[in-house]
Amino acid sequence: MKVVLFVVVILVILALLAIMSRNRLVRANISVDEAFAQIDVQLKRRSDLIPNLVETVKGYAAHESGTLEAIVAARAKSTQATTFADVAAADGQLTQALRGLLAVTENYPDLKASSNFLALQEELSSTENKVSFARQFYNDNVRTLNSAIKTFPSSLFVKSAGVSVRPFYEVDDPQDRKAPQVKF
Amino acid sequence: MDFRKLQSANKVKTTELLFGMALLVGVVIWALMTYFGKTGIGVVPFAVGIALLSVWGSYWSSDKIVLTMTGAKIVTEAENKQLYDLVTEICIAAGLPVPKIAIVEDNAPNAFATGRDPNHAVIAFTTGILRVMDREELQGVTAHELAHVANRDTLVSAVAATTAGALALLSDFMLRMMIFGGGNRRDNNNNDQNPLALIASLVILILAPLAALLLRLAISRKREALADVTAVGFTRNPTGLRRALEVLAADSTVVHQKSTAVAHIWIESPLDGSKTSQLFSTHPPLASRIATLRAMEGNL
Repeated sequence: MKVVLFVVVILVILALLAIMSRNRLVRANISVDEAFAQIDVQLKRRSDLIPNLVETVKGYAAHESGTLEAIVAARAKSTQATTFADVAAADGQLTQALRGLLAVTENYPDLKASSNFLALQEELSSTENKVSFARQFYNDNVRTLNSAIKTFPSSLFVKSAGVSVRPFYEVDDPQDRKAPQVKF
Repeated sequence: MDFRKLQSANKVKTTELLFGMALLVGVVIWALMTYFGKTGIGVVPFAVGIALLSVWGSYWSSDKIVLTMTGAKIVTEAENKQLYDLVTEICIAAGLPVPKIAIVEDNAPNAFATGRDPNHAVIAFTTGILRVMDREELQGVTAHELAHVANRDTLVSAVAATTAGALALLSDFMLRMMIFGGGNRRDNNNNDQNPLALIASLVILILAPLAALLLRLAISRKREALADVTAVGFTRNPTGLRRALEVLAADSTVVHQKSTAVAHIWIESPLDGSKTSQLFSTHPPLASRIATLRAMEGNL
Protein backbone atom coordinates (compact mmCIF):
# COMPACT_ATOMS: atom_id res chain seq x y z
CA MET A 1 0.00 0.00 0.00
CA LYS A 2 2.72 2.40 1.01
CA VAL A 3 4.78 1.54 -2.06
CA VAL A 4 1.82 2.25 -4.35
CA LEU A 5 1.27 5.62 -2.70
CA PHE A 6 4.95 6.43 -3.05
CA VAL A 7 4.94 5.56 -6.76
CA VAL A 8 1.80 7.62 -7.32
CA VAL A 9 3.33 10.65 -5.61
CA ILE A 10 6.49 10.37 -7.69
CA LEU A 11 4.45 10.05 -10.89
CA VAL A 12 2.37 13.11 -10.02
CA ILE A 13 5.51 15.14 -9.35
CA LEU A 14 7.04 14.01 -12.65
CA ALA A 15 3.85 14.86 -14.53
CA LEU A 16 3.78 18.33 -12.97
CA LEU A 17 7.42 18.89 -13.90
CA ALA A 18 6.70 17.81 -17.47
CA ILE A 19 3.72 20.16 -17.75
CA MET A 20 5.76 23.04 -16.36
CA SER A 21 8.66 22.43 -18.74
CA ARG A 22 6.35 22.23 -21.72
CA ASN A 23 4.47 25.36 -20.64
CA ARG A 24 7.76 27.17 -20.27
CA LEU A 25 8.53 26.46 -23.92
CA VAL A 26 5.08 27.45 -25.13
CA ARG A 27 5.17 30.66 -23.13
CA ALA A 28 8.66 31.56 -24.33
CA ASN A 29 7.50 30.99 -27.90
CA ILE A 30 4.48 33.27 -27.45
CA SER A 31 6.73 35.95 -25.93
CA VAL A 32 8.95 35.85 -29.01
CA ASP A 33 5.90 36.34 -31.26
CA GLU A 34 4.66 39.23 -29.13
CA ALA A 35 8.08 40.82 -29.12
CA PHE A 36 8.20 40.58 -32.91
CA ALA A 37 4.78 42.22 -33.12
CA GLN A 38 6.20 45.07 -31.03
CA ILE A 39 9.05 45.54 -33.54
CA ASP A 40 6.43 45.65 -36.28
CA VAL A 41 4.38 48.28 -34.45
CA GLN A 42 7.42 50.49 -33.97
CA LEU A 43 8.59 50.07 -37.58
CA LYS A 44 5.12 51.07 -38.75
CA ARG A 45 5.21 54.17 -36.54
CA ARG A 46 8.56 55.10 -38.01
CA SER A 47 7.26 54.57 -41.55
CA ASP A 48 4.33 56.86 -40.84
CA LEU A 49 6.64 59.66 -39.79
CA ILE A 50 8.66 59.64 -42.98
CA PRO A 51 6.35 61.40 -45.52
CA ASN A 52 6.03 64.37 -43.17
CA LEU A 53 9.78 64.38 -42.55
CA VAL A 54 10.60 64.28 -46.24
CA GLU A 55 8.19 67.14 -46.97
CA THR A 56 9.65 69.29 -44.21
CA VAL A 57 13.26 68.70 -45.17
CA LYS A 58 12.56 69.24 -48.90
CA GLY A 59 11.47 72.81 -48.25
CA TYR A 60 14.78 73.75 -46.67
CA ALA A 61 17.32 71.40 -48.16
CA ALA A 62 16.53 70.86 -51.82
CA HIS A 63 20.13 69.79 -52.47
CA GLU A 64 19.69 66.67 -50.42
CA SER A 65 17.33 65.02 -52.88
CA GLY A 66 19.68 62.01 -53.03
CA THR A 67 19.45 61.40 -49.30
CA LEU A 68 15.69 61.88 -49.37
CA GLU A 69 15.25 59.49 -52.28
CA ALA A 70 17.26 56.86 -50.40
CA ILE A 71 14.86 57.23 -47.48
CA VAL A 72 11.75 56.98 -49.63
CA ALA A 73 13.15 53.90 -51.36
CA ALA A 74 14.10 52.24 -48.08
CA ARG A 75 10.66 53.00 -46.66
CA ALA A 76 8.95 51.48 -49.70
CA LYS A 77 11.04 48.36 -49.30
CA SER A 78 10.25 48.08 -45.62
CA THR A 79 6.49 48.39 -46.14
CA GLN A 80 6.62 45.58 -48.71
CA ALA A 81 8.81 43.28 -46.63
CA THR A 82 6.98 40.21 -45.39
CA THR A 83 9.55 37.59 -44.45
CA PHE A 84 11.53 37.86 -41.24
CA ALA A 85 14.84 38.35 -43.07
CA ASP A 86 13.39 41.00 -45.42
CA VAL A 87 11.91 42.98 -42.54
CA ALA A 88 15.25 43.03 -40.76
CA ALA A 89 17.19 43.96 -43.90
CA ALA A 90 14.79 46.78 -44.84
CA ASP A 91 14.81 47.99 -41.24
CA GLY A 92 18.62 48.21 -41.35
CA GLN A 93 18.59 50.18 -44.61
CA LEU A 94 16.01 52.65 -43.40
CA THR A 95 17.83 53.11 -40.09
CA GLN A 96 21.02 54.01 -41.92
CA ALA A 97 19.28 56.27 -44.43
CA LEU A 98 17.56 58.19 -41.62
CA ARG A 99 20.80 58.57 -39.74
CA GLY A 100 22.38 59.94 -42.92
CA LEU A 101 19.61 62.50 -43.22
CA LEU A 102 19.87 63.64 -39.61
CA ALA A 103 23.61 64.07 -40.15
CA VAL A 104 23.24 66.34 -43.21
CA THR A 105 20.55 68.47 -41.57
CA GLU A 106 23.37 69.84 -39.44
CA ASN A 107 24.32 71.95 -42.50
CA TYR A 108 20.93 73.69 -42.69
CA PRO A 109 20.48 76.17 -39.84
CA ASP A 110 17.08 77.30 -41.13
CA LEU A 111 15.81 73.76 -41.11
CA LYS A 112 17.18 73.10 -37.64
CA ALA A 113 15.49 76.24 -36.40
CA SER A 114 12.09 75.29 -37.79
CA SER A 115 9.73 74.26 -35.02
CA ASN A 116 8.10 71.67 -37.25
CA PHE A 117 11.47 69.99 -37.76
CA LEU A 118 12.37 70.13 -34.09
CA ALA A 119 9.16 68.33 -33.16
CA LEU A 120 9.80 65.79 -35.91
CA GLN A 121 13.35 65.28 -34.76
CA GLU A 122 12.27 64.49 -31.20
CA GLU A 123 9.59 62.15 -32.52
CA LEU A 124 12.03 60.47 -34.84
CA SER A 125 14.80 59.95 -32.32
CA SER A 126 12.35 58.60 -29.76
CA THR A 127 10.94 56.25 -32.39
CA GLU A 128 14.47 55.20 -33.29
CA ASN A 129 15.03 54.35 -29.59
CA LYS A 130 11.75 52.44 -29.48
CA VAL A 131 12.66 50.43 -32.57
CA SER A 132 16.03 49.62 -31.11
CA PHE A 133 14.62 48.61 -27.71
CA ALA A 134 11.95 46.50 -29.43
CA ARG A 135 14.72 44.65 -31.29
CA GLN A 136 16.64 44.16 -28.06
CA PHE A 137 13.53 42.86 -26.26
CA TYR A 138 12.86 40.48 -29.14
CA ASN A 139 16.41 39.15 -29.01
CA ASP A 140 16.23 38.73 -25.22
CA ASN A 141 13.11 36.63 -25.69
CA VAL A 142 14.70 34.59 -28.48
CA ARG A 143 17.62 33.98 -26.16
CA THR A 144 15.29 32.71 -23.42
CA LEU A 145 13.41 30.47 -25.86
CA ASN A 146 16.54 29.07 -27.48
CA SER A 147 18.18 28.28 -24.17
CA ALA A 148 14.97 26.57 -22.96
CA ILE A 149 15.00 24.49 -26.14
CA LYS A 150 18.57 23.43 -25.56
CA THR A 151 18.51 22.77 -21.82
CA PHE A 152 17.17 19.82 -19.87
CA PRO A 153 14.37 19.07 -18.96
CA SER A 154 12.48 21.43 -21.27
CA SER A 155 14.56 20.11 -24.19
CA LEU A 156 12.52 16.87 -23.95
CA PHE A 157 9.29 18.65 -24.90
CA VAL A 158 10.43 20.64 -27.92
CA LYS A 159 8.50 18.41 -30.36
CA SER A 160 5.31 18.22 -28.34
CA ALA A 161 5.24 21.99 -27.72
CA GLY A 162 5.80 22.55 -31.44
CA VAL A 163 8.56 25.13 -30.98
CA SER A 164 11.88 25.51 -32.71
CA VAL A 165 15.03 27.60 -32.36
CA ARG A 166 14.31 31.12 -33.61
CA PRO A 167 16.77 33.45 -35.33
CA PHE A 168 18.00 36.65 -33.70
CA TYR A 169 16.81 39.90 -35.26
CA GLU A 170 19.99 41.36 -36.57
CA VAL A 171 20.22 44.68 -38.30
CA ASP A 172 23.25 45.53 -40.35
CA ASP A 173 24.13 48.53 -38.26
CA PRO A 174 27.30 49.00 -36.23
CA GLN A 175 25.69 51.70 -34.07
CA ASP A 176 22.62 49.67 -33.23
CA ARG A 177 23.29 49.35 -29.53
CA LYS A 178 23.80 53.05 -29.08
CA ALA A 179 20.54 54.91 -28.90
CA PRO A 180 20.84 58.39 -30.40
CA GLN A 181 21.50 60.97 -27.74
CA VAL A 182 19.09 63.83 -27.51
CA LYS A 183 19.45 66.43 -24.79
CA PHE A 184 16.46 68.06 -23.20
CA MET B 1 30.61 42.13 -14.62
CA ASP B 2 27.90 40.64 -16.77
CA PHE B 3 24.48 42.04 -15.81
CA ARG B 4 22.80 38.63 -16.11
CA LYS B 5 25.13 37.10 -13.53
CA LEU B 6 24.76 40.08 -11.20
CA GLN B 7 21.01 39.87 -11.59
CA SER B 8 20.79 36.25 -10.51
CA ALA B 9 23.31 36.82 -7.70
CA ASN B 10 21.13 39.58 -6.29
CA LYS B 11 18.02 37.43 -6.59
CA VAL B 12 19.71 34.60 -4.70
CA LYS B 13 20.70 37.07 -1.97
CA THR B 14 17.09 38.27 -1.55
CA THR B 15 15.87 34.69 -1.32
CA GLU B 16 18.46 34.01 1.36
CA LEU B 17 17.40 37.07 3.31
CA LEU B 18 13.72 36.18 3.06
CA PHE B 19 14.65 32.69 4.21
CA GLY B 20 16.51 34.29 7.12
CA MET B 21 13.29 36.10 8.03
CA ALA B 22 11.34 32.85 7.96
CA LEU B 23 13.98 31.31 10.18
CA LEU B 24 13.66 34.22 12.59
CA VAL B 25 9.91 33.65 12.77
CA GLY B 26 10.62 30.01 13.60
CA VAL B 27 13.06 30.95 16.33
CA VAL B 28 10.62 33.44 17.86
CA ILE B 29 7.85 30.84 17.90
CA TRP B 30 10.25 28.43 19.61
CA ALA B 31 11.02 31.12 22.20
CA LEU B 32 7.29 31.66 22.75
CA MET B 33 6.70 27.97 23.27
CA THR B 34 9.60 27.74 25.67
CA TYR B 35 8.60 30.73 27.73
CA PHE B 36 4.82 30.56 27.75
CA GLY B 37 3.98 27.08 26.63
CA LYS B 38 0.94 26.55 24.42
CA THR B 39 -0.78 29.81 25.41
CA GLY B 40 2.08 31.68 23.73
CA ILE B 41 1.12 30.25 20.35
CA GLY B 42 -2.36 31.71 20.66
CA VAL B 43 -1.11 35.23 19.99
CA VAL B 44 0.72 34.31 16.76
CA PRO B 45 -2.39 34.52 14.54
CA PHE B 46 -3.25 37.88 16.11
CA ALA B 47 0.19 39.35 15.45
CA VAL B 48 0.30 38.01 11.88
CA GLY B 49 -3.29 39.13 11.27
CA ILE B 50 -2.70 42.68 12.46
CA ALA B 51 0.56 42.95 10.50
CA LEU B 52 -1.12 41.60 7.35
CA LEU B 53 -4.04 43.99 7.67
CA SER B 54 -1.83 47.02 8.17
CA VAL B 55 0.57 46.20 5.33
CA TRP B 56 -1.92 44.70 2.87
CA GLY B 57 -3.94 47.87 2.45
CA SER B 58 -0.91 49.97 1.70
CA TYR B 59 0.43 47.33 -0.67
CA TRP B 60 -2.84 46.95 -2.54
CA SER B 61 -3.38 50.65 -3.13
CA SER B 62 0.27 51.70 -2.94
CA ASP B 63 -0.02 53.70 -6.17
CA LYS B 64 -2.85 55.87 -4.85
CA ILE B 65 -1.48 56.22 -1.32
CA VAL B 66 2.00 57.26 -2.44
CA LEU B 67 0.61 59.74 -4.97
CA THR B 68 -1.37 61.37 -2.15
CA MET B 69 1.47 61.27 0.36
CA THR B 70 4.02 62.82 -1.97
CA GLY B 71 1.59 65.16 -3.70
CA ALA B 72 2.58 63.80 -7.12
CA LYS B 73 0.50 64.95 -10.11
CA ILE B 74 -0.23 62.56 -12.98
CA VAL B 75 0.90 63.91 -16.37
CA THR B 76 -0.52 62.80 -19.70
CA GLU B 77 1.28 62.22 -22.99
CA ALA B 78 0.04 65.55 -24.32
CA GLU B 79 1.30 67.45 -21.28
CA ASN B 80 4.85 66.14 -21.34
CA LYS B 81 5.58 64.31 -24.57
CA GLN B 82 9.31 63.91 -24.00
CA LEU B 83 8.91 62.36 -20.56
CA TYR B 84 6.18 60.09 -21.87
CA ASP B 85 8.43 58.98 -24.75
CA LEU B 86 11.32 58.35 -22.39
CA VAL B 87 9.22 56.10 -20.16
CA THR B 88 7.60 54.33 -23.13
CA GLU B 89 11.01 53.52 -24.59
CA ILE B 90 12.11 51.71 -21.43
CA CYS B 91 8.74 49.96 -21.19
CA ILE B 92 9.36 48.53 -24.65
CA ALA B 93 12.82 47.38 -23.57
CA ALA B 94 11.34 45.80 -20.44
CA GLY B 95 8.18 44.41 -22.01
CA LEU B 96 6.07 46.29 -19.46
CA PRO B 97 2.82 48.21 -19.94
CA VAL B 98 3.30 51.99 -19.78
CA PRO B 99 2.68 53.04 -16.14
CA LYS B 100 1.03 56.20 -14.88
CA ILE B 101 3.60 58.98 -14.98
CA ALA B 102 3.64 61.62 -12.27
CA ILE B 103 5.62 64.72 -11.32
CA VAL B 104 6.33 65.86 -7.76
CA GLU B 105 6.91 69.57 -7.21
CA ASP B 106 10.22 69.41 -5.38
CA ASN B 107 13.60 70.97 -6.09
CA ALA B 108 15.55 67.95 -4.87
CA PRO B 109 16.38 65.54 -7.71
CA ASN B 110 14.73 62.20 -7.01
CA ALA B 111 12.32 59.66 -8.49
CA PHE B 112 10.28 56.64 -7.43
CA ALA B 113 8.03 53.89 -8.69
CA THR B 114 5.42 51.84 -6.88
CA GLY B 115 2.23 49.86 -7.47
CA ARG B 116 1.13 46.34 -6.65
CA ASP B 117 1.78 44.98 -10.15
CA PRO B 118 2.90 46.30 -13.55
CA ASN B 119 -0.70 47.14 -14.48
CA HIS B 120 -1.10 49.40 -11.44
CA ALA B 121 2.36 50.92 -11.50
CA VAL B 122 3.14 54.60 -11.17
CA ILE B 123 6.50 56.24 -11.82
CA ALA B 124 7.19 59.71 -10.47
CA PHE B 125 9.92 62.28 -10.99
CA THR B 126 10.58 65.44 -9.02
CA THR B 127 10.71 68.69 -10.97
CA GLY B 128 14.29 68.92 -9.68
CA ILE B 129 15.45 65.73 -11.38
CA LEU B 130 13.85 66.73 -14.69
CA ARG B 131 15.74 70.02 -14.52
CA VAL B 132 19.23 68.82 -13.62
CA MET B 133 19.51 65.62 -15.68
CA ASP B 134 19.98 65.15 -19.41
CA ARG B 135 18.14 62.52 -21.39
CA GLU B 136 20.72 59.77 -20.99
CA GLU B 137 20.77 60.20 -17.20
CA LEU B 138 16.97 60.32 -16.99
CA GLN B 139 16.83 57.18 -19.09
CA GLY B 140 19.00 55.44 -16.49
CA VAL B 141 16.80 56.67 -13.65
CA THR B 142 13.64 55.59 -15.49
CA ALA B 143 15.14 52.16 -16.12
CA HIS B 144 16.02 51.81 -12.42
CA GLU B 145 12.47 52.68 -11.40
CA LEU B 146 10.85 50.41 -13.97
CA ALA B 147 13.23 47.67 -12.82
CA HIS B 148 11.53 47.90 -9.41
CA VAL B 149 8.21 47.41 -11.19
CA ALA B 150 9.50 44.47 -13.24
CA ASN B 151 11.09 42.85 -10.16
CA ARG B 152 7.86 43.25 -8.12
CA ASP B 153 9.67 45.10 -5.39
CA THR B 154 6.48 46.50 -3.91
CA LEU B 155 5.47 42.92 -3.18
CA VAL B 156 8.90 41.96 -1.83
CA SER B 157 8.97 44.91 0.53
CA ALA B 158 5.36 44.25 1.59
CA VAL B 159 6.31 40.69 2.53
CA ALA B 160 9.36 41.93 4.44
CA ALA B 161 7.31 44.63 6.17
CA THR B 162 4.60 42.16 7.16
CA THR B 163 7.09 39.73 8.67
CA ALA B 164 9.01 42.44 10.50
CA GLY B 165 5.73 43.95 11.71
CA ALA B 166 4.41 40.62 12.96
CA LEU B 167 7.66 39.95 14.82
CA ALA B 168 7.61 43.38 16.44
CA LEU B 169 4.01 42.83 17.59
CA LEU B 170 4.78 39.34 18.90
CA SER B 171 7.71 40.56 20.90
CA ASP B 172 5.65 43.44 22.24
CA PHE B 173 2.77 41.15 23.30
CA MET B 174 5.17 38.79 24.97
CA LEU B 175 7.04 41.39 26.91
CA ARG B 176 3.73 42.79 28.16
CA MET B 177 2.56 39.33 29.16
CA MET B 178 5.78 38.84 31.08
CA ILE B 179 5.45 42.10 32.93
CA PHE B 180 1.74 41.95 33.69
CA GLY B 181 0.90 38.32 34.00
CA GLY B 182 3.88 36.18 33.21
CA GLY B 183 3.91 34.44 36.58
CA ASN B 184 0.59 32.64 36.16
CA ARG B 185 1.14 31.66 32.55
CA ARG B 186 4.44 30.11 33.21
CA ASP B 187 2.78 27.47 35.37
CA ASN B 188 1.38 25.79 32.28
CA ASN B 189 4.05 23.36 31.35
CA ASN B 190 7.46 24.82 31.71
CA ASN B 191 8.27 24.45 35.36
CA ASP B 192 10.64 21.72 34.35
CA GLN B 193 12.25 23.94 31.67
CA ASN B 194 15.94 24.45 31.54
CA PRO B 195 16.60 27.97 32.92
CA LEU B 196 19.13 28.58 30.14
CA ALA B 197 16.44 27.99 27.54
CA LEU B 198 14.21 30.45 29.35
CA ILE B 199 16.90 33.11 29.34
CA ALA B 200 17.69 32.42 25.68
CA SER B 201 14.04 32.74 24.72
CA LEU B 202 13.75 36.00 26.63
CA VAL B 203 16.78 37.41 24.82
CA ILE B 204 15.34 36.23 21.48
CA LEU B 205 12.00 37.91 22.17
CA ILE B 206 13.73 41.17 23.04
CA LEU B 207 16.12 41.17 20.08
CA ALA B 208 13.79 39.75 17.39
CA PRO B 209 12.25 43.08 16.29
CA LEU B 210 15.71 44.60 15.81
CA ALA B 211 16.91 41.57 13.86
CA ALA B 212 13.76 41.72 11.72
CA LEU B 213 14.31 45.40 11.04
CA LEU B 214 17.91 44.80 10.01
CA LEU B 215 16.88 41.95 7.70
CA ARG B 216 14.15 44.11 6.20
CA LEU B 217 16.64 46.91 5.49
CA ALA B 218 19.14 44.43 4.05
CA ILE B 219 16.41 43.20 1.68
CA SER B 220 15.65 46.78 0.67
CA ARG B 221 19.35 47.40 -0.11
CA LYS B 222 19.59 44.20 -2.15
CA ARG B 223 16.52 45.16 -4.18
CA GLU B 224 18.09 48.56 -4.90
CA ALA B 225 21.28 46.88 -6.10
CA LEU B 226 19.19 44.48 -8.19
CA ALA B 227 17.22 47.36 -9.70
CA ASP B 228 20.48 49.03 -10.81
CA VAL B 229 21.58 45.83 -12.55
CA THR B 230 18.16 45.15 -14.09
CA ALA B 231 18.14 48.74 -15.35
CA VAL B 232 21.36 48.08 -17.22
CA GLY B 233 19.69 45.00 -18.69
CA PHE B 234 16.97 47.30 -20.09
CA THR B 235 19.14 50.11 -21.45
CA ARG B 236 22.42 48.21 -22.03
CA ASN B 237 23.95 51.49 -21.00
CA PRO B 238 25.46 51.56 -17.48
CA THR B 239 26.90 55.01 -18.17
CA GLY B 240 23.53 56.80 -18.06
CA LEU B 241 22.55 55.50 -14.63
CA ARG B 242 26.10 55.88 -13.33
CA ARG B 243 26.15 59.54 -14.36
CA ALA B 244 22.69 60.03 -12.88
CA LEU B 245 23.86 58.63 -9.54
CA GLU B 246 26.89 60.90 -9.67
CA VAL B 247 24.57 63.87 -10.14
CA LEU B 248 22.61 62.69 -7.09
CA ALA B 249 25.82 62.22 -5.10
CA ALA B 250 26.97 65.74 -5.92
CA ASP B 251 23.62 67.22 -5.06
CA SER B 252 23.03 68.25 -1.48
CA THR B 253 19.35 69.18 -1.60
CA VAL B 254 17.12 66.58 -0.09
CA VAL B 255 13.48 65.82 -0.77
CA HIS B 256 11.31 67.83 1.62
CA GLN B 257 9.35 64.84 2.76
CA LYS B 258 11.76 63.26 5.17
CA SER B 259 9.14 60.77 6.21
CA THR B 260 10.65 57.39 6.89
CA ALA B 261 7.36 55.82 5.80
CA VAL B 262 8.12 56.38 2.13
CA ALA B 263 11.93 56.63 2.30
CA HIS B 264 12.51 53.26 0.65
CA ILE B 265 10.70 54.06 -2.57
CA TRP B 266 12.93 56.90 -3.80
CA ILE B 267 15.92 56.21 -6.05
CA GLU B 268 18.20 58.01 -3.63
CA SER B 269 17.49 57.80 0.07
CA PRO B 270 15.84 61.11 1.06
CA LEU B 271 17.12 60.70 4.62
CA ASP B 272 20.56 62.04 5.29
CA GLY B 273 22.84 59.11 4.60
CA SER B 274 25.89 60.34 6.46
CA LYS B 275 24.18 60.32 9.82
CA THR B 276 22.64 56.89 9.69
CA SER B 277 24.93 53.92 9.68
CA GLN B 278 25.06 51.63 6.66
CA LEU B 279 23.19 48.89 8.54
CA PHE B 280 20.16 51.09 9.07
CA SER B 281 19.95 52.40 5.53
CA THR B 282 17.29 51.49 2.97
CA HIS B 283 19.73 52.03 0.08
CA PRO B 284 23.31 50.89 -0.56
CA PRO B 285 25.76 53.83 -0.47
CA LEU B 286 25.80 55.76 -3.76
CA ALA B 287 29.56 55.27 -4.03
CA SER B 288 29.26 51.51 -4.13
CA ARG B 289 26.36 51.63 -6.60
CA ILE B 290 28.44 53.89 -8.86
CA ALA B 291 31.42 51.52 -8.58
CA THR B 292 29.29 48.52 -9.60
CA LEU B 293 27.93 50.37 -12.63
CA ARG B 294 31.41 51.52 -13.59
CA ALA B 295 32.57 47.89 -13.49
CA MET B 296 29.77 47.01 -15.92
CA GLU B 297 30.76 49.72 -18.39
CA GLY B 298 32.54 48.37 -21.44
CA ASN B 299 31.65 44.87 -20.30
CA LEU B 300 28.32 44.17 -21.91
